[in-house]
Amino acid sequence: MIGLNSSLSIATEALGAQTAALEVANNNIANANTPGYSRQVVSLSSAASIQNGTTVDEGVSYQGFTSVRDTVLDMAINAATSDQGSLTAQNTLLTQINSAFSGTTTGIGASLSTLFSDLSALSTTPSDSSARQTVLSDANALVDAFQQGAAALSNASSAANQQVSSAVAQVNELSQQIAALNGQIASAGANGSDGGALTDQRDELTTQLAQLLGVSTTQTGGTPTLTTTNGSPLVIGDSSYQLQVTTAADGTTHVLDGQGNDITDELTGGTIGGAITARDNTIPALSQQLDALASQFASAMNNAQAAGYDLNGNPGAAMFTVPATGSAAAGITVALTNGSQIAASSDGSTGSSGNVTTLLAVQSTNLPSAANPTDSYANLVGNIGFAGSQASSGLTATTSSLQQLTSQQGSESGVSIDEETSNLIRYQQAYTASARVISTINDMYTVLMNMSLGES
Amino acid sequence: MRVDPNLSALLNIGIQGTEQALNTAVQQVATGQRVSVPSDDPAAAAENLQSLAESANVDQYTKNGDAVLSQAQMADSALSNVVSELNQAITLGTQGADGSMTSENRAAIATQVQSILSQVVSQANTTSNGVSLFAGTAATVPAFASDSTSPTGYSYQGNSGVNSTAVGDNLQVNVNVPGDQIFTNANGNVLGSLSQLISALGSGTSTDIGDAVAGVKSALTNVSQQRVIYAGVVNQINAQESYLSQETISLTSQQQSLTGVDMSTAVSNLTQAQIAHSTILAAAAKVLPTSLLDYLN
Repeated sequence: MIGLNSSLSIATEALGAQTAALEVANNNIANANTPGYSRQVVSLSSAASIQNGTTVDEGVSYQGFTSVRDTVLDMAINAATSDQGSLTAQNTLLTQINSAFSGTTTGIGASLSTLFSDLSALSTTPSDSSARQTVLSDANALVDAFQQGAAALSNASSAANQQVSSAVAQVNELSQQIAALNGQIASAGANGSDGGALTDQRDELTTQLAQLLGVSTTQTGGTPTLTTTNGSPLVIGDSSYQLQVTTAADGTTHVLDGQGNDITDELTGGTIGGAITARDNTIPALSQQLDALASQFASAMNNAQAAGYDLNGNPGAAMFTVPATGSAAAGITVALTNGSQIAASSDGSTGSSGNVTTLLAVQSTNLPSAANPTDSYANLVGNIGFAGSQASSGLTATTSSLQQLTSQQGSESGVSIDEETSNLIRYQQAYTASARVISTINDMYTVLMNMSLGES
Repeated sequence: MRVDPNLSALLNIGIQGTEQALNTAVQQVATGQRVSVPSDDPAAAAENLQSLAESANVDQYTKNGDAVLSQAQMADSALSNVVSELNQAITLGTQGADGSMTSENRAAIATQVQSILSQVVSQANTTSNGVSLFAGTAATVPAFASDSTSPTGYSYQGNSGVNSTAVGDNLQVNVNVPGDQIFTNANGNVLGSLSQLISALGSGTSTDIGDAVAGVKSALTNVSQQRVIYAGVVNQINAQESYLSQETISLTSQQQSLTGVDMSTAVSNLTQAQIAHSTILAAAAKVLPTSLLDYLN
């Protein structure tokens, strides 16, 4: 049964539906630049009912709106973000180390060269006290260079410790916020409405969390669960589990899960994973190499000293002192106090430079580490460079794959102003048309009324 | 297929990329270096350090060569004086051996030979920067000192030590010849033969004087032989230094090719980076302000 009343109600429905659609477009435009916002699409359906075996159209029905998001893509983005966070942290630390070891006219390499050059000069003027003093000050410069190298490495380690503890604090804050949002989303879900913007906020926070630490997200029986990649819980439903930091005996910052278990070695990804990798793997390998060079070089020089006699005819004393424990490079010192103590003489006579050859031979003789001091240092610098370039090229690769993923996500979920503008026009026209229908029906009513008035 | 509507993010990434390339290109042109930190090219950075160490060694070999050269030349010129003094002594001795000489004449000649002896001793005690050139490795003492118990009136204070200096990776040259080998050698004793000549002139016969002159002659032969050692060192160092200067050039070019940048490549990279950068900026300027809204009114 078609009548003016039902037409009016269809038009009124339509006005409401177009208004709702306009609101969604409006909201999309408002959030066009909101990080993490997924565009919403309105869902409209035509309403109809069957009456007396006939389909009766009842206009449009507004079914609410849904956010357009791809959870698989979100997970891929989180994983790439974790990689990027990890490599960024490593790259920052290794860049510091690389600049500390970039000197070609300063640093350990140059100091080694200078020491050997000035020792070599001593072979022509072995009794010249100023030439001897020069060698001694070269030895001091070399020791300083070793100490600076060791300090650059240990500074990077302490920077990594700071990164870990500040990132853990951020992780805790984020997981609290995520737990709170989970609670809100659950109650919104219970009310039958889409989590929409709340879910967007949660996803955005999860991505921020992934930047700090590798995470995995799962839904267990409808309860969203957020864990570290090794399975330690961070958020289950609306409760968050706080990580803790503690300083180990060796001064490194360790991470404990909510139950107090040490999970430092199991954490991967994100700033925390990257800082831990650099601190516990990359930097110790480099430190070890530097320490080996310092201690092996010191003992080779000391042995060469012992083979000769100083200016006063005394057997050569050790040139360097290396601490028995701890970092050799950080603790190496010059044991000699006067240039006259350099054991240039091979026979005890003041003018002999016979032992200079022995001292110089240290430069070209392989240390126990199977390379001579110059090559060992070059190796170390090569390794520092490799670690740095690995981190930076890895970072470039991850960043570009993250960009691709983000752009893919943008093509799914990003708000296009142009699209929303054309939608606005569409809805506006439909609204205008519906309003025109109402005014037409109104006219028709008027005609109807006038007709009955005319009859009377 | 829907596309990512966020053009500004894409453009920002692009702009950052070209800016980075521009930065790198400018840095390379400004510094002339391709490798400024080891991570730029780890293998080249490591090789460069080895090459720099070798360069430092080569520089030092050259300096050592110069130092040895100056000592050898000093020693050689002292020995050249000794040679002419010995020749003079031989002339004087030959005159003194003449049977027509009176003892007064011979005494006068003996006085001259005596002064030659002390000149020779002073040559033998030549020092360089306070170091005796002919005292072996006993640097701080004069090589010969007056000694009344010695038949020559002088005794050797030095030792038989010989210093050597590296002037190449596997090349050592001897810096000195011990004084006893030159001046009191059994095959030709300079100081001994001169003393003998003096005493022969004072008391001996023409035959004695003649024998003494023969002794001086063999001493002269010995000194000339020892001079050859210094001449050999000088030649060796001259040859080595021209090798070292070539080595310096080849090491420098090695370092340049390891870490330096080829200027023409660097400049063309810079031009490329500039073009890429201005292109993306132009693209951004064209695309970013455009939206459907511009066309609706």
